[in-house]
Formats: sequence, structure tokens, C-alpha cells
Amino acid sequence: MNVGNLDTFGSLKFFVPEIVVVFTMMAVLVLDLVAMKRSPWERRLLLVGPSLIGLGVALFYAIRLAELPASSLFNGMVAHDGFGNVLRLVFLVTSLLVLLFTLRSKELEGMHHGELTVLLLTVTAALMWMSNSLNLLMIFLALETVSIASYVMVGYMKGDRLSNEASLKYILFGAISSGTMLFGMSLLYGLTGTLELSGIRSALENQEALVESGPALMVIVIMVLAGIGFKMATVPFHFWCPDVYTGAPTPVTAFLSVGPKVAGFAVLVRFFYGGLARPSGDAAFEMVGAVNWQAILMGISVLTMTLGNVTALLQTNLKRLLAYSSIAHAGYIMMGAVVLSGEGIQAMVAYVVVYLFMNLGAFLVLIVVHDAVGSFDLKDYAGIWRRSPLLTIVMGIFLFSLMGIPPFAGFLAKWYVFAAVIRADLGWLAVLGVLNSAVGAFYYIKILKTMFLEGDDVPEPSSPLRLHPMHVGLLFLLAVPNISGLFLWGYLDRITEYSQKLLENL
Amino acid sequence: MESLAPRILFWFFAALMLGSALIVVHGRNLVHSAFALLATFFSAAVFYAFLGADFLAGAQVLIYVGGILILLLFGVMLTNRIFDVNLRTETFQVAPSALVAAGVFGMLTLLILKTPWRQVSLVEEGPTTEKIGSLLVTTYLLPFEIASVLLLVALLGAAMLVRRRSDL
Amino acid sequence: MIPLEYYLIVSAALFSLGLYGLLTRKNAINVLMSVELIFNAANINLVAFSRFVGGNLEGQVFALFVIAIAACEAAVALAIVMSLFRHLKSVSLEGASALKG
Repeated sequence: MNVGNLDTFGSLKFFVPEIVVVFTMMAVLVLDLVAMKRSPWERRLLLVGPSLIGLGVALFYAIRLAELPASSLFNGMVAHDGFGNVLRLVFLVTSLLVLLFTLRSKELEGMHHGELTVLLLTVTAALMWMSNSLNLLMIFLALETVSIASYVMVGYMKGDRLSNEASLKYILFGAISSGTMLFGMSLLYGLTGTLELSGIRSALENQEALVESGPALMVIVIMVLAGIGFKMATVPFHFWCPDVYTGAPTPVTAFLSVGPKVAGFAVLVRFFYGGLARPSGDAAFEMVGAVNWQAILMGISVLTMTLGNVTALLQTNLKRLLAYSSIAHAGYIMMGAVVLSGEGIQAMVAYVVVYLFMNLGAFLVLIVVHDAVGSFDLKDYAGIWRRSPLLTIVMGIFLFSLMGIPPFAGFLAKWYVFAAVIRADLGWLAVLGVLNSAVGAFYYIKILKTMFLEGDDVPEPSSPLRLHPMHVGLLFLLAVPNISGLFLWGYLDRITEYSQKLLENL
Repeated sequence: MESLAPRILFWFFAALMLGSALIVVHGRNLVHSAFALLATFFSAAVFYAFLGADFLAGAQVLIYVGGILILLLFGVMLTNRIFDVNLRTETFQVAPSALVAAGVFGMLTLLILKTPWRQVSLVEEGPTTEKIGSLLVTTYLLPFEIASVLLLVALLGAAMLVRRRSDL
Repeated sequence: MIPLEYYLIVSAALFSLGLYGLLTRKNAINVLMSVELIFNAANINLVAFSRFVGGNLEGQVFALFVIAIAACEAAVALAIVMSLFRHLKSVSLEGASALKG
């Protein structure tokens, strides 16, 4: 049920989560000054505590607001619908978890915590705006906010040369891609005369000179994809990903692998389904305008999956490996965007929710091992089984989920996506997906194998790895959703049905 | 019969803009490039004035020339001693890149000339400041507020990255 | 009156020059300057379209926001360059190539 366009005052009550997060950010900024004289541990608590509370409140309101009908807010700038609401929850949960990661991480040990918390909170709010934007200006603004805060977060370890380099690469690649996207957006504005996605759709539908504007639209699509593809880290805009993921502090990497990537997908859906497609028939869409962007997205999906998986096989640094793994997963998620149906969007959302838990879990294990062993290299993971069986089992859960083995949640996610693809008569794509998953299994298993077996050749001084209770708690928290398998099925169904309500707003 | 003066001015500033842009991308000396960028930004401001965007022209000069360019010059002066902050050790050769750039330009020009831009004849002339101001607090209120968050974060981030003591 | 296409062609040229700069430059500040050219090219497009196609001020408002955003980006980029410069100056002479592709 579409309540229509709301003006500024009417929209405020729908906007509470974002407002809460922004106010929390400002409060933390002030608290940072208050906390100057205290010990580092106290400082962290003083900063992270209120942030968690703020995020919790925002989460609460986001869930409450989910019941309200769909509409567009602030004079058509931002949407309020099922799709956006689910993603809001995803971002808030990601932030909450990553904040907990930052509380205890060897990499961030000497660093002042205040700015990181402020940046993280800001990025969360900006991600929520980004995934709900209905206007080219909003998309660009929110995207840039996310980007700029991310650039700073990546370079947070100022003493570390790799971190600095990573953030330089990130910002330069990022600036190039957003400049190109902006140029494409400006051309789109010229073509259609409006910045609003719904207006763009009507303009493209009514275009008598459809054929003549075709080339322009093609250039626009490619340019805008440069910007969106950069955020999603899909081919051929993925070059920054391994270097940035490796150089950044691991909690930040964990965040980047979920937050901005998912928001990128949200923008993809909003831009293409909201601006370059229209609903037709039963929960399906058809393209508008002279460009077959479905084919382009298909190509990107295939290339991304394949490149991600194949390159991951060769990696020995686990952060780099997970970077390529997340590139591959972006390829799988993209498969859901290709099918031009509500089912595809549902599949994307389902995958994203599961992916959050899988990926954050894997990165948490990386953080824990780094705290103990001081390295991210695969060879230093040898024999972890002997030193901490718990850690190995949990890592096993995450890796099996990432592989897509039943009964783990990762299998469910892939099932959703492949089913949607098959039902849209794109069976070949599903076959490629399965093949890619098989390739992926190789390197995930390689990690597990190293952790289990090679411990026998390692000389003895392996003391048992003592895990901090907080880490244990977090590991459990992240592992449980991955195991739930059949239980999760019910929840996922509910969530995805709910996000189906995207269609009402388009 | 339109007067010739506007056209001449237009072409003059277009030439200035593109010529200085060429120095920016091709010049050997970093300081020369930075100053050439000044001319590019200024010519863009002149273009905005031509298009009736008086507020924007002022904003361009104030922010781009008065802010960004000064910042760039600081950056150039502070890092231009012995070591260059080089991003990569091998880059593309000049000739193929020029070809690619020329190709892109050709394609874009073709696009521009071929596409039927739907032009509107009714245009209100006059100062835009008041209109933009009222737009910013009505239709575009949300982006306006978000931009302020962005500015805060950029300020914070830049200051944090540059300060000396790592534990402060 | 200067026709729309003239503005567009000039901005396309600016974009292409920026692209050329991106491909050939290796100093980070040079790359940043080329990116600024691209932003300005897009801005000229926006303002020109605002006048000729939109008939309203939407494009100009967008251009205004772009100017602000570009300022933020430039500030943070230069801060990162400074931060890295401090490292290179005290550690070694090599370029930023420690991270291999």
C-alpha cells in the first residue's frame, strides 16, 4: 500500500533510526572530549557503550517502523519500503558487531578510538540513506559520505605503511569512479530533464526518439555502473579491493566487506529497477529504454564470480583471500539482480542477510588469530586445532557456510538465488554458479585443512590459545545463525516476503 | 542577429579552460599544473555565469579557487621536496593514452550531436540566489542536512589523519 | 545565445583531458587534479542541462552539492597524501608499491 509522497514534517517519524544514529554520533564526539583524561580501556567503553545503546535504539525503532506502510519521504528523496527496511536492519546489525570487534583488536591497540566510532556511526547512517535514495542527488551524496568516511577508516592505522597506502589507493580509485558516475548522471539528467528515478522512468518510457537516445543511454549505464560497481567490488571495478582489504585494520575490512557492498547492491536495484525498468505483470519487471542492461549485469555477474573464485585459489594471505572471496560472493548476489523479478530481489536480500553473518564471522576469526599469533598468513594457521579446538570448529562453521554446504545457512542463500535464476529461464547462469561454488570449496577447505592437519609437523611450543570471553561470545553469536539451517528457512522466508514490498513503491 | 561579443568571449574562455586543463594533465612541473588548474576553475565559473547561474559562479570561485586550489597548493608545496608521493611506478605511455582520450572525446561528441536533447524554451532569467536558497530548505532539505554531516566527517577525518601524535 | 551543444562539447573535452591525466600521471596529487577536472566537466553538464533541458534550478543545486563534496574529497585526499608522505620520508624511497596488485 503506497501512502505516497510525504513532506518534511510528515517524514520525520519514519526517519527516527537515522536521526538516532546521527545524534549518537554527535554525542560520542562530545564524549570523546570528556574521556580524554581516562585510561584507554575506560575511554573505549565510554565511547563504544553509548554507541551501542544508540544503535540498539535505532534498531528497535527500525523494527517498529517496519510495520508502517510504504511511502516516499522528504519530497521524494528517500523511500520507505520493505526492501529498505530490511537493509536498514542489516546495516545496524553490522555496525553493532563491528563496534564490538573494535573493542579488542591488536591492530587498533595504540590508536585513539573516538574518531573510529564517529566514522563508523556516520557510515551506518549514510548506508541507510544510500540504500533508500530515490533521487540522483541523494544517491551521489550518500554514496560520497560513505566513501569519504571509509577512506579515513581504512587509513586509520597511521603508523602502518600498508594502511596508508591502502587508503590512498582507495581514495584515488574511489574518486575516479564517482567522478565518472557523476558524469553519467549528468548526462542522464540531460536526457530526461529530471533527477528523480521515477521521473527518469517516465521520461524514458515516453521517449519517441527511443532509438536515437540509445547510445547515450548505453554510455550513461556504463558510467553509472563504474560508480556502483566500485562499491560492490565487481569486475572490472574490483581492482582496489584486495589491496584495500589487506591494508585496512581488520575490523574495518570486515565492515567494508558487508556494509558498503550491500549498499552498492541496494543502489543497483533502486537505479535499475526504479529508473530503468517498470513493473509488468505478476511480480516481474521489464526494462525501459533502449539498453539491454540485463545482459550487461549478467556478464558482470559471471566475470565477478569466476575471477573472485579463481584468484582466491592462489592466495596465501588470508585477508587477501577473503577479499577475493567477497568479490566472488558479490557475483552470486548479482545473479539475483539479473532476473528482473521480485523473486530475484528477495533472493538478493536473503543472500545478503546470510552473508553478513558468514563474512563477519570469518573476519572475526582472523582478528582473534591475529591477536594471538600476529599474522594473517595461511601457514601460521597450521595446527590451530590443537591450540584451540573451539576456534577451529567455529571457523569451520563459517567456511562451510561460505561454501554453501547444507545444512548451513550459506546453502540456503545460494538456493534462493539459484532457484530464482532457474525460474527465470536462466538455467545456464545457475550452472555457472554451482561450478563456481565448487571451485570456491577448494580454497575454503584448504584453510580448514591447514588448521586441522598440518599441526602435526609443527614443533611443540604451542600453548593453548586463550580466547577472550568477549570474543567467544561474539563467535557464538555469529556462528548460531549459520547453523540454523532449517530454522532459518522460516525467518528468511518472512524477511524476503517482506522485502517483496519493494514492488509497491516502484 | 546576435551580437558577436558573447560568442567571442565564450570561445576565449573555452580555449582558456581547455588549454589550462592540458597543462594540468601534461605539464612537467607540479606547481605549474596547480596554477593552471586555477585558470580552469575560473573559466568554469565564467561558464556558469554565461548560463545564468550567478550564485554557482560565485560559489565556484569561493570554494574551488579559494578553498580546494589553496589546499592543493599546500599539498604540492609540502610534499614536493625530494620524494614524490608516487602512486605507481609504471603508468601508461603517453601515445596510447592520448589515443584513448581522443577516442572517448570523439565518441562523446558524436553522442552529443546525435542525441535529441529535449530543450525547453521557457526559462526564467534573474538572480538565482534566493531561489536556490529556498530550494535548499524546502525540497532539498534532507540533502542539505546530510551534506553538513559529510562536511563534519571530512573535517574530522582529515584532521585526524594529519595530526602528529598518534595517541591523541 | 550559445547553443547547448557547445557547452557539452567543451565539457566532454574537459572530461577526456581528465581521463588522459588519470591514465598517464603517477603522482597522487596530479591524479587528484585530473579527477577535479572530471568533476568540473560533470558540473558544467549539470548547469547547462539545468538551463536548457530542465528549465528549473535542479541541476544547479546538484552542482552546488558536487562542489561541496569535491571539497571534502580533496581535503581528505590531501590528508591521506600527507600521512603517506610522512612515512615515505622517514622509511624509504620507493613509491607506494608495497601492496602488490
